[in-house]
Amino acid sequence: FQTTMDVAAEDSDQMPSGFHAKAAAKAARLRREAAKLASASALESPGGIESRPGEWAPTQSKLLRRVAVAARPGHFELSLQYGPYSVAYDTTGRLLALCGRGGHVAAFEWRQKRLMFESQVNEPCHALTWVGAGSTPQLAVAHSNWTYIYDAQGLELHCLKRLHKANKLFWLPRHWLLAACTDTGHLHWQDVSTGQTVASYCGHHGPLRVSALHPDSGCVLTGQPNGQLCIWTPLEKRPVVKMLCCPAGVRAVATAPAGHAVYTLGGDSRLRVWDIRCLRPLSVSDSGADAASIRLFDAAPQLAVSQRGLLACPVRQGAALMVLPAGGAKPLLSHPSPGRLSDLAFCPWEDVLAFGHARGLGSVLVPGSGEPNPDGAVHPLSGKRQRREAEVRGLLDKLPPETIAPPAVGGGVNAVDAEGIEEALARKRAAVMALPSDEVRQFQPRRRSGKASGELNRKVGERWQRRRMELRQLLKSKKRVLAEMGDEGADAAGGRKTKKAKKVSQSGELTKPATGTFLDRLIPKAD
Amino acid sequence: MKVKLLLRNPQDYLRETADDIHKLARNPAPELHPMSAETEYVRALNAAKLERVFAKPFLGCFGDQGDQLSRVCMHPRALSLCLSGCVDGRVAFWNIPRRSRVLQLDAHSGCVQGLCWHPEQDLFYSCCDTDRTLKAWRVGDDLTEFSRPVSQRHLDFAPLNLDHHVSKDLFALSGDAVYLYDSRRSDPVGQWKWGSDSVLQARFNPTEWHLLAAVTKDNALLLIDTRQREPLRRIRCEFRQNALCWNPQEPFVLATASDDYNLYSWDARRLASPACVYRGHTNAAMDVDFAPTGRELVSASYDCTVRLWESGRSQSRDVYHTKRMYRVFAARYSLDARFIVTASADFNLRLWKARASEKLGALTPRERAAVNTAEALKQKYAHHPQVRRIVQHRHLPKRLYQAQLEMKAIRGKQRRKEVNRREHRGEDKEPFVPERDRHVRGVDE
Repeated sequence: FQTTMDVAAEDSDQMPSGFHAKAAAKAARLRREAAKLASASALESPGGIESRPGEWAPTQSKLLRRVAVAARPGHFELSLQYGPYSVAYDTTGRLLALCGRGGHVAAFEWRQKRLMFESQVNEPCHALTWVGAGSTPQLAVAHSNWTYIYDAQGLELHCLKRLHKANKLFWLPRHWLLAACTDTGHLHWQDVSTGQTVASYCGHHGPLRVSALHPDSGCVLTGQPNGQLCIWTPLEKRPVVKMLCCPAGVRAVATAPAGHAVYTLGGDSRLRVWDIRCLRPLSVSDSGADAASIRLFDAAPQLAVSQRGLLACPVRQGAALMVLPAGGAKPLLSHPSPGRLSDLAFCPWEDVLAFGHARGLGSVLVPGSGEPNPDGAVHPLSGKRQRREAEVRGLLDKLPPETIAPPAVGGGVNAVDAEGIEEALARKRAAVMALPSDEVRQFQPRRRSGKASGELNRKVGERWQRRRMELRQLLKSKKRVLAEMGDEGADAAGGRKTKKAKKVSQSGELTKPATGTFLDRLIPKAD
Repeated sequence: MKVKLLLRNPQDYLRETADDIHKLARNPAPELHPMSAETEYVRALNAAKLERVFAKPFLGCFGDQGDQLSRVCMHPRALSLCLSGCVDGRVAFWNIPRRSRVLQLDAHSGCVQGLCWHPEQDLFYSCCDTDRTLKAWRVGDDLTEFSRPVSQRHLDFAPLNLDHHVSKDLFALSGDAVYLYDSRRSDPVGQWKWGSDSVLQARFNPTEWHLLAAVTKDNALLLIDTRQREPLRRIRCEFRQNALCWNPQEPFVLATASDDYNLYSWDARRLASPACVYRGHTNAAMDVDFAPTGRELVSASYDCTVRLWESGRSQSRDVYHTKRMYRVFAARYSLDARFIVTASADFNLRLWKARASEKLGALTPRERAAVNTAEALKQKYAHHPQVRRIVQHRHLPKRLYQAQLEMKAIRGKQRRKEVNRREHRGEDKEPFVPERDRHVRGVDE
């Protein structure tokens, strides 16, 4: 994968300390070695266009003349009549589905042009996504009221009434979750394997019309009219992160299929690229072009990002589409659209882009957009048996919804529970060192009454007064030792009086008083 | 203008013939594997759960012996044979895989107190305290030569246990003292005693040939060098040690099963305190045995359970119990460390798996890889609370669970009292004593 711009974290001024800089350098080195290893064993190399300076971006006919005949299936146009179309590829890149506002729902294998099913549902369809694994593909379509799931033959399997007025559907393959954003401002997360509704709540942030999925973490990003970008997770009923990303309302949000880049298009028509891990702008790339210099004037454009960081966007009020290279502002190629553009989708693992418009849909070749070397069985040429086995493995490895968290918030399964460790250590220290608690120090002995009680009370009071002084001294010395120890040397679970400790405490050269416990070995020796 | 489009040749992704395996595309780039830590964690969780699903350690009963079993002795060279001794003097010879009795003989008139095999010859010894005899029996190929003992020796003390040397023709009898006998001599070659109480068990060290360890009735553990006239050391414990076992792989380590519900492992080089305290039983530990690997222990307890331990870890790895199993008096590992044979007061010998979810039988390479992966995953995520909870949890019947809670309450109360005392009285009057140092009264030389 080629990230659009390299990570801001490698910048040395962004590092909080030398330790972090070293760790980042080590991580970068390991990444480079892994990339080298991957490229050494790679079967395919990525596509691309090498143009001479001053040359225009190529048209599709020019590309078709220069590529092999086997690439031709990637370029086609379908004239259809049922309204602006939305398109979706499945995760393997083999199947393409479309749904139109006029009620047209269809799915076909775009390479062989083999139709899987086609139906007229007599209801406006706004969004769609493939759900399930490649071996049993199912299509979730958001109709005007509810969301329906169709199987590969077009039979209606489920009607999800909870996903009411959904305008965007997302598929989380690792969690087997269907996420939906609705016009009513609700967010839904539905487990497709068990049928359980994981979360379904109103976000109270107005209708969620601009949304995208961050595939690496599974969070839903929504753009708000006040310029905020909200990150939603199923376990929290309010946005986990709210980030101001535009001076005016957010018109579009898009994410790359992998990685940490988030593209937002604001009301000022400027495209901004953010790093979702630190919620800061991604640094400028080597080409020197600033993504923010890109102006997109469409009202509600659909942006699409490919696996290798290419950005596709509509231009000229949806009359054409433009593909920008990763981190660049000069278009790689453009293509006119017969109708007003309504949806864009890059095909995973292939150098193909599908676009839906008011008069049908089309597909264009985009050299360099697909990741050449897939992993596992999720690629267009995987066999049926492999896909089936991958589905079973995917179900076994299904992640719980608790793992959906934005990277900026931190945590994760391997995060160190520093607070818990601190608390446990403090408890152990207190038990071993027997720090006298406040209760003990503030204890007042019971006053007796009766004959000779005055003398008894005086004696008891004196004794306890002496004991309180002792405890105070003890607490002071222990606190001093603890303060010197700081966070290290907290191996207080032992408590043995080692011989070393005795030696140190018995020598007369100490500047600090010895406590008589094993902690004495940590007292610095006087020079 | 140069244009390169990504085009895949299907031949590169399809197998050549139907006999080939399917090709699998691989790209190790981390961008293609997001949430890999979470996926690994889920796999570790599933591995832990599946381990519990397949944990069926009980293989079967050997058949009713008719009376309480006192001793179990595994054959030193053959994997499938073992002996059992009964309180009514019968000795039975068992085929472990078939769980069937090959032969039974009326060896003694009283309880069989000692059983051991000769390390090289097909010969085993049994002794009884009621008739004060030590008998040697020869085993033939057709297993018919049992009717009379090969030799019989009358002793002038009541023997309580018997052990044979690992290679020499010596055996140690424990009774009122530890007696060392040579098979060719009628009188004992050596005798050791410390105090006036009887010795319950004496065992030879398998590596250090002159070293013996013995446990006595007056709560002591003795270390004896056969080249010296007096025992080397005596460790006075708080409670009686019922049984002892040397670690077959580490020459200086031995384990004892104590009446105070614990097992102790001792380092013979430093006997001031036990090397490890194994806590878990809710009644007296009656027997202990090391696995041939030296890394695991099994203990039989009066609380009707058998516990398995990893050497050095004070919490048990597994606990075996059945409705019908009553007080367990003996537990032995098989030679391949895969099975455990237990003898209990309900007159039965039982066979268990040492690894409860192990698949017996041949594993295909894929199965073996899957098992190893699962094991590695569980170890990697062993500290995660969810994984740890599943791996550690064992179902116990109500009375055992209540007994465990009771022990926990008792210990909790003792600890709390100590902490309060330390807080109020001060650390010099109430020092913190680690668990290891609490169980030994003294070491005498």
